[in-house]
Amino acid sequence: MAALLETRQLCKSFGALEVARDIDFRLERGARHALIGPNGAGKTTLVNLLTGVLPPSRGAVLLEGEDLTAAPQAKRVKRGIARTFQINQLFRGLTVLDNVYIAVAERLGAGGSMFRPAGRRADVIAEASGLLETLKLEGDAGRRIHELPYGRQRLVEIAIALGLKPRVLLLDEPAAGIPSAESHILLDAIAGLPKEIAVLIIEHDMDLVFRFAERITVMVSGAIFAEGPPAEIAANREVRAVYLGSAADV
Amino acid sequence: MDLISIALGGLAAGMVLFIVSVGLSVTMGLMGFVNLAHGGFAMLGGYVIVQAMKVWGLPFFAALAIGFVAIAALSVVLERLLYARLYRASELDQVLFTIGLVLVMIASITLVFGPETQTVVLPEWLRGQTDLGFIRYRTYSLAIIAAGVLLALGLWLGFERTRIGAKIRAAVDNRRMAESLGVDVGRLFTLTFALGGGLAALGAGLGAEILGLDPQYPLRYLIYFLIVVAVGGLGRVTGVFFAAALIGILDFVLKIQFPKGGTMFIYALTLVLLLWRPQGLFGRRAG
Amino acid sequence: MTAPGPGLAAARALAERHRVKWWEAAPWLAGIALFFLLPSYLAFGTQLVITILFALSLDLVMGYAGIVTLGHAAFFGAGAYTVGMLAAHAGWNEPLSGLVAAALVAGAIGLASGYVLLRTQGLTLLMLTLCTMALLEESANMGHEYTGSFDGMPGLQFQAILGLFPFDLLYYRSQYLYALVVLFVCFVLVRVLVYSPFGQSLTGIRENVLRMHAVGAPVRARLVIVYAVSAAIAGVAGALFTQANAYVNLATLGLDRAAGILIILILGGYGRLYGAFVGAIAYMVLEHVLAKAYPTTWQLGVGLLLIAVALYARNGILGIADALWRRLRAAVAR
Repeated sequence: MAALLETRQLCKSFGALEVARDIDFRLERGARHALIGPNGAGKTTLVNLLTGVLPPSRGAVLLEGEDLTAAPQAKRVKRGIARTFQINQLFRGLTVLDNVYIAVAERLGAGGSMFRPAGRRADVIAEASGLLETLKLEGDAGRRIHELPYGRQRLVEIAIALGLKPRVLLLDEPAAGIPSAESHILLDAIAGLPKEIAVLIIEHDMDLVFRFAERITVMVSGAIFAEGPPAEIAANREVRAVYLGSAADV
Repeated sequence: MDLISIALGGLAAGMVLFIVSVGLSVTMGLMGFVNLAHGGFAMLGGYVIVQAMKVWGLPFFAALAIGFVAIAALSVVLERLLYARLYRASELDQVLFTIGLVLVMIASITLVFGPETQTVVLPEWLRGQTDLGFIRYRTYSLAIIAAGVLLALGLWLGFERTRIGAKIRAAVDNRRMAESLGVDVGRLFTLTFALGGGLAALGAGLGAEILGLDPQYPLRYLIYFLIVVAVGGLGRVTGVFFAAALIGILDFVLKIQFPKGGTMFIYALTLVLLLWRPQGLFGRRAG
Repeated sequence: MTAPGPGLAAARALAERHRVKWWEAAPWLAGIALFFLLPSYLAFGTQLVITILFALSLDLVMGYAGIVTLGHAAFFGAGAYTVGMLAAHAGWNEPLSGLVAAALVAGAIGLASGYVLLRTQGLTLLMLTLCTMALLEESANMGHEYTGSFDGMPGLQFQAILGLFPFDLLYYRSQYLYALVVLFVCFVLVRVLVYSPFGQSLTGIRENVLRMHAVGAPVRARLVIVYAVSAAIAGVAGALFTQANAYVNLATLGLDRAAGILIILILGGYGRLYGAFVGAIAYMVLEHVLAKAYPTTWQLGVGLLLIAVALYARNGILGIADALWRRLRAAVAR
């Protein structure tokens, strides 16, 4: 059976600079998959290729066997690929509830509705409020994003992505920039994600990776370097040499 | 009129456009700052030059030098005091601020000197005609062409051959990269802003014969300055040079051929060009 | 009974955001009051109402969708010339259908230019909006037989509104009420749009276009639609201008008008629906009082004001009022 999300010999280069090289990657249904690698390994580039922010130079992206290589971002979102950003990309002047409302409204096809007040879409409001409750954000629902501490903003990133009811969720360094005292809230949120969503997480925090992931892919300079279950990756000498370094010795 | 004299007339206008706009191209390329007040600096410079000749009786070239220095200094002051506060502001804020600044400049000049057109009295030897062998043409237009070409050459050498030029080029291409390599982009900006302002003043003084000089100057030619920069590419000295020459000649030819709708053609051409190549004819694609 | 939690309160606030507030009647009551109390100011009032409508159209694209344009007068002028040329050359001088024609022409130009222009952004987009306007201005200047070039078309004749209320160029009584009603209709449309999910998605595009793409929104299509709608409304404003004043000239299309309306909207506060009203009233009343006596000083003042707004008060008069109101409420609560 085809993987849920799959890439075939995916390449991307900017001029002479190759940022993705022959990437054959599979994400299975309901996976808890981590993508690790040193800075500049091409992890975010892969996310951008999967979501259609960047067009690949070569290769293909398939979702359940359907070729999405040339599909625009919007179509991929409709098919169930959602992401969060490494650096918050939120509607800063709007309330938390509005942020999630916009995502839910787009998914339900209400975003283009011009003549009915947004407030009359009780279904959208209810769903957005529900998501905020799940992520324990309901206390901030009425606050504007720029009034929130950074850690809470990271949760809104996830809430927006969940508002798209994804089948594939790409989390680009969700814990980046959060003080460690607050990171447990985020960990709980990630641990509590519905089982049917396949999650790919990019993360530098090895604790988080090994606690969360059932499968790990290691990228080094634009190519897949190793892949396997966490125990295997942790035991892989080469991986330790290029990337894990001292972190794995602990 | 025959072809050569049309080309020369257009080229002279183009060189004026070049001298005025080149600074705008570099500063917009460096900071991405939308500076709609650039023509205002040019106009102020023109007035300084005219006044220096009228009131102090300075010779033409001394007046040009004074204009250059005065506006370069004014540019530094305004850049440090006001522009610097808006580098990170939205495009809209920059647009508003620079429109505001240009209105203040126009109003101040009108209050002091009135709305009349100013005239620059040329030295004797620049008037009249010069025999080039194959054609006799207005000496002053030829002098402007020579000045424009020389300036372009000088700027080109400065950009390509000096350390500061290399830094500016690096910062235009990738500001963050340049900053991480230790280039102080803020100071570069002040420097280029001053140079650009001074050159604009020079251009307004030199070009007063061709473009005229009155308080409405900054708004009347705003779209021309912007077109030259957009077509030439942000931060490209050579690009702006060719774009200015091209537009100067085109405008001249079109105005003679179609006295009514000539300019329309230039707008249409710019529109199509920018849709085809948003980075301009000579600019490099970003990213 | 316990107070609702903050989550519920936010949901309720969102559900009720579009409801009409009591003070929203104020501008219309004031508009009607002006008609009865200051009959000698109706010519001025008519220009004011037309300016509000034009500023409102700009608010839709700039305040809500975040498109910075220097060429919005293109659509005002397109509407103004549409009714002018129809009246002068085609004998089509019924005013209401003229408004519809102006909306269609300006909207079509907005749709076509938006479709090609809105794939760019930033400085390029700014340039392109400027070029589009300059192109239209130049065409109007060139088509002497049809447009009258620089002098425009003076002395146009229009039928009575609904066949009942003839235009009167002395007191502007019918013009004023007519413009006020048209403003009201367009305002209701804009208000509905702004509070719809579509309007909310425009705000989303303004706040973060990257994220808007990532939630799967057809960003460009939304922008093109709002650009065309806004153009149509600007066209109606232009048409009102021609009909009310019985002339049209190149000034309807120029940079002065485009920059002026930008200033008015910023002054009032953009993205706030009523910024257009406040800005137009503040600017035009001041202009009316000052500009005739001291035009240059007035220009100087506007320039200084703009610099101050850009540096210190980015949200305009309504933004300042809003901040003061919040501070006052916080003080009272304490």
